[in-house]
Amino acid sequence: MATETAPAPTETEAEHDPRPEHLEHHFVSSEQQFDSAKLGMWVFLITEVLLFSGMFVAYAVFRQWNPDVFAAASGTLNQTMGALNTVVLLTSSLTVAFSIHAIKQDKVKQCIYYLLGTLGLAGGFMVVKYFEYTAKFEHGVFPGGAFDPHGAHYEHLADMAMAPQFFSIYFVMTGIHGVHVVIGMIVIGALAIMAWRGSFSSEWYTPVELTGLYWHLVDIVWIFLFPLLYLI
Amino acid sequence: MAHDGPHIVPKSVLLKVFGALIVLTGLTVGVAYVPLGPLTVPVALGIAGMKATLVVLFFMHLKYDNPVNALTFTIGTIFVLVFVTITLLDTAFRGDLGNVNAQTVQEIQAEEERAQQRQDAIPADSLRIAPSDYPDQNRGASMESDGGS
Repeated sequence: MATETAPAPTETEAEHDPRPEHLEHHFVSSEQQFDSAKLGMWVFLITEVLLFSGMFVAYAVFRQWNPDVFAAASGTLNQTMGALNTVVLLTSSLTVAFSIHAIKQDKVKQCIYYLLGTLGLAGGFMVVKYFEYTAKFEHGVFPGGAFDPHGAHYEHLADMAMAPQFFSIYFVMTGIHGVHVVIGMIVIGALAIMAWRGSFSSEWYTPVELTGLYWHLVDIVWIFLFPLLYLI
Repeated sequence: MAHDGPHIVPKSVLLKVFGALIVLTGLTVGVAYVPLGPLTVPVALGIAGMKATLVVLFFMHLKYDNPVNALTFTIGTIFVLVFVTITLLDTAFRGDLGNVNAQTVQEIQAEEERAQQRQDAIPADSLRIAPSDYPDQNRGASMESDGGS
């Protein structure tokens, strides 16, 4: 009896479960491995949300204490550039979604193009940010103690005791968001190279999916930053 | 694999979501020029929340995903709301710390009560003064003439 049943499972195992190269030995299936990676990414994204929420709370508290100063200081930000960056980032979210759409259908070339498109849009976002920052620095609008506004557009802020507070919050929030964009650009660039080397297929594209999630979160943070800092 | 390839969100859905996001961006810029008074912040946050929900459900695939991911994200979001609300409950209702009184509330109330009692005991009407109340009506004038001599 034992001799009869013993060879059977090994035979079916060899037939039905040729473990794919990407499947780690501690996972039952590719699907389980993918779901675990994704859950891990969502937990990481929540820590990111909480990191930014600390800054959003600082914004809320100081805005509630000094509504007039925040309105005046927010009025000096360039709304056109902020709106432009919102559209750029939303479009980059779409291209990342398209790159995942492509790799799920084994369209590696398309996936690479969409990743490079995302990289370009992210670069565009940083260029706009650079022009915004330098326009502020030229007029002495620095965070915290270095705050020394001059020029017609910023002069009226010099008399407001809490105006430097607004710009500290502005520079820290957009700065840390910008760091996230740069990190995203590095990872997306690496993904494009990996895709070009043929690392991804519809069978295994976990890094593309997880980077996509990260990139969408960076987009969501900006969705909240834009109206709160630039518009109201 | 246990399933027939990965779930794919159709490109048309992604494009529609993107269109909605652009429209909502235009809307949030537009309402910024409308004086809404106290509704400004709730409206801006409402539109941003709608945009974030669209991104999370469709771009981040949460609508079609394993529900445990949605649970993780929802719990995290609830904690953000708790964080903001409890902090603002403190900072928004602190009052003016530079305007403190050395007396306790009971002492202030007792003092006000005593003042009220004094007012009741001597009515304001009884303190009214008219020229006829002066016993010697020429006294002022005579004093002036005294000073002149």
